[in-house]
Amino acid sequence: MAAVPPRLIAAACLLLCSAGLQARPGALHRADGQVRPETSPRRIISLIPATTEMLFEMGVSDRIAGVGTFDRFPAEVSRFPRVGGLLDPNVERILSLKPDLVIVYDTQTDLIAQLGRAGLQMFRYRHQGLPDIVQTMRALGTRIGVAREADAAAGRIEARLADVRRRVEGRPRPRTLLIFGREPGSLRRIEASGGYGFLHDLLELAGGNDVLSDLRRQSVEMSTEMVLARAPEVIIELQYGDSPRRQQLDSELRVWDALPSVPAVRSKQVHLLAGDEFVVPGPRIVQAAERFARVLHPGAFK
Amino acid sequence: MIEARSVSFTYPRGDRMILRDVSLLVRRGAVVGLLGPNGCGKTTLLRLLSGMLTPQTGQVLLDGAPLAALTRRGIARRVAVVPQETHATFEFSVIDIVLMGRYPHLGPFELEGPADLEIARQALDATGTAHLEMRPFGSLSGGEKQRVVIAGALAQAADLMLLDEPTASLDLAYQLEAAALLRRLNRTHGTTMVVCTHDLNMAASLCDEIVLLREGAVLAHGATADTITVDNIQAAYGVAADVHFHAAAGHLAVVPIARTS
Amino acid sequence: MPGRPDVRRRLAVSLAAFGTLALLAILLAPLVGSTPITLARVFDRSIPFADNVDAQIFFVARLPRVLAAALVGAALAMAGVVFQALLRNPLASPDTLGVSAGAALGAVLAITFNADFTLLGVTAVPLASFAGSIGALIIVYGLSAARRRGTSTLVLLLAGVTLTALLSAISAFVRYLADFTETLRTVRWLMGSLDIGAFTPIAVAAVPMGIAIAGFAMLPRILDLISMGAESAAARGVDVTRAERIALVSASLATGSAVALAGPIGFVGIVVPHLVRLLVGADHRVVLPASALFGASFLIACDLVARIVFAPTELPVGVVTALIGGPFFLWLLFRHA
Repeated sequence: MAAVPPRLIAAACLLLCSAGLQARPGALHRADGQVRPETSPRRIISLIPATTEMLFEMGVSDRIAGVGTFDRFPAEVSRFPRVGGLLDPNVERILSLKPDLVIVYDTQTDLIAQLGRAGLQMFRYRHQGLPDIVQTMRALGTRIGVAREADAAAGRIEARLADVRRRVEGRPRPRTLLIFGREPGSLRRIEASGGYGFLHDLLELAGGNDVLSDLRRQSVEMSTEMVLARAPEVIIELQYGDSPRRQQLDSELRVWDALPSVPAVRSKQVHLLAGDEFVVPGPRIVQAAERFARVLHPGAFK
Repeated sequence: MIEARSVSFTYPRGDRMILRDVSLLVRRGAVVGLLGPNGCGKTTLLRLLSGMLTPQTGQVLLDGAPLAALTRRGIARRVAVVPQETHATFEFSVIDIVLMGRYPHLGPFELEGPADLEIARQALDATGTAHLEMRPFGSLSGGEKQRVVIAGALAQAADLMLLDEPTASLDLAYQLEAAALLRRLNRTHGTTMVVCTHDLNMAASLCDEIVLLREGAVLAHGATADTITVDNIQAAYGVAADVHFHAAAGHLAVVPIARTS
Repeated sequence: MPGRPDVRRRLAVSLAAFGTLALLAILLAPLVGSTPITLARVFDRSIPFADNVDAQIFFVARLPRVLAAALVGAALAMAGVVFQALLRNPLASPDTLGVSAGAALGAVLAITFNADFTLLGVTAVPLASFAGSIGALIIVYGLSAARRRGTSTLVLLLAGVTLTALLSAISAFVRYLADFTETLRTVRWLMGSLDIGAFTPIAVAAVPMGIAIAGFAMLPRILDLISMGAESAAARGVDVTRAERIALVSASLATGSAVALAGPIGFVGIVVPHLVRLLVGADHRVVLPASALFGASFLIACDLVARIVFAPTELPVGVVTALIGGPFFLWLLFRHA
């Protein structure tokens, strides 16, 4: 076997070293965003509608470089470039916008690995219960360098939520069923909110007694029998997008007449609420909480 | 009994005329062999006789009546077909298979009765397969299967049996057995038979008459001894063969010697 | 195991046995569930229906469910029997020729484009699903009509497999366009559900199923003959083309209406015919009605398991049929090999 010429070895070493150097431009890079960066980010991309709203609420919307596909609030988001969402993040688009912070879902492991290899800073967002919303807001604010503004905004949210809690305190808590989907025109394939997650927390805060508290899941598919057995006193159906038209509302609610023994049906306590504040666990949950409370305890808001 | 008059046939989307102006008369009670090299049209002729195919020119007559004027059921009551191979998709028993032969004689929702069962059992007896009655068809040997299928054709109580290569997939012993069975059935039941085969020796042992086909036309037609000759075999198959009467076998024997074309 | 030769007796015994099983299933299943109810309260006339929870659970939640299970189970089982005979393939199922894929595509389109209308008491998704199944049937029918005499059923099988693949690909593309809610709805629909909650959709589905059964009634002996080969069937007097068309249309109507009513539920159409054949032999005059009755019982039983094993939540019924049917199917394959 011939000996490898020393010049070749030296060249190989150089190549390997430079390749290694290229993979790590920032001295303090870590993919989990836990390390404090050297500068506060100026070009932020947020794939999550909740965090986008939080950025606006904290007053740093001028630092946004790109938003997710499903971000709708406030109206100004439409002027930002879109980079995809939970299921379809567009890595090329993200990279081309040259962000210095990307807010991603904690579950987007592939994306995180890819952006990590490209050397980008990330903030990993976890979608959990109601207390986590203000917690996330404070953490994000700290990460961006606007801890004071974030704390103030979080405080405002906490205050309004506390106000709702106070208003409904002491009142009897009706057994409530919260539904976020079913086949239109029938009672098939009812998707209900289980005893876990921010919607459940909002319901309890607004003075409702979630009939599915014992099922520790965010979403439960309910059969007709289950609805009859749980016998809720109030049914709240959530709809996203625009407000339902008057006649659509009536015909949709009439579907429930098939189950006359349910207390909510008998006392006409089936409500249809529309709006995406119910699906975005961000600053607007206070509106969601207030709307729930108004339905459950109208007397508390005279 | 059955007659083909000047029939011609081309398969749809085919470019070649398979049969050209072929005429054939099969007398009641005869055993006729259809012989010829591959592609000569013998299988097609058999299918024309069964009514499975309709000739482009000419017609097929069954006891003087055109096949085209008869219903499928009507034909089935008088003509039974024994295919070369039978494969049962589901696990039917032997008696199930034979009872299916009674279909043309029953009404659309009529179930087989004791009379039909008796006919089926007699057919099994006649083919020596009575002991296999409850066995699954798929578990039988090739020879046993073929005998059961023949029993099914017998149960159909048809006067005419059309057989397509009845011994082609059988072992030597079963070949002899099947040929003997068919001869016996012809003698005891008087069933007219038309047998399509490429086995010259089997045809010589079984058939009274031979129709020799080549390239869609009848080359020769007559009694076995007159048709299976050295010249005819040469003309039909392009093979020089030795043809002589084999005393021990009791029929003509054909031994191919060399190719000539 | 092949049955005894006397078809009359076999038919009588099978219908009595499977009929009793089906009747028991229909009568007992509504009494069992995740919520305890008492028959006394259910039929207590003194309580107005609107206040009687037990009665509502029995009549609104459970009874339609059991009837739907019976109808869908019978339809899928019979369609399976007929497709297996038609295609001369014991591994064929109601899904083989693409009818289920057409039904799925119809439903996915209705969900993704948020179709929201009601006709004759039936909502958009089942209607679109049924339309999709008819569309697939028209394609397959056209292919079979274009066949010249002498083409084997292999062509039909391959066409069915290709159509299924094509329709599934289109379906996947449509789902790709969907947003999160629509995707969730689609996923749920694809799992199948017998919780109809009303009698009207069942009554409406019974119409095409009734037409299918009328078609099936013409076929049993013919299916025996056809399964032995098209030419040998024709030689015995069967009008094979006409029979194949009736079989195709009837089995597709049965499958399409079953999938439209309850979503795709697998394994019933392939496992029940085989189980029944093991018990009663291969004669279709016995297998077809026995499969209908056993299919009904089987699906009622699977739905029962689905709704009580993890009470109060429910398993999708398709999961239960798969867990029972899957291993059985594997065993079948080993046995045949």
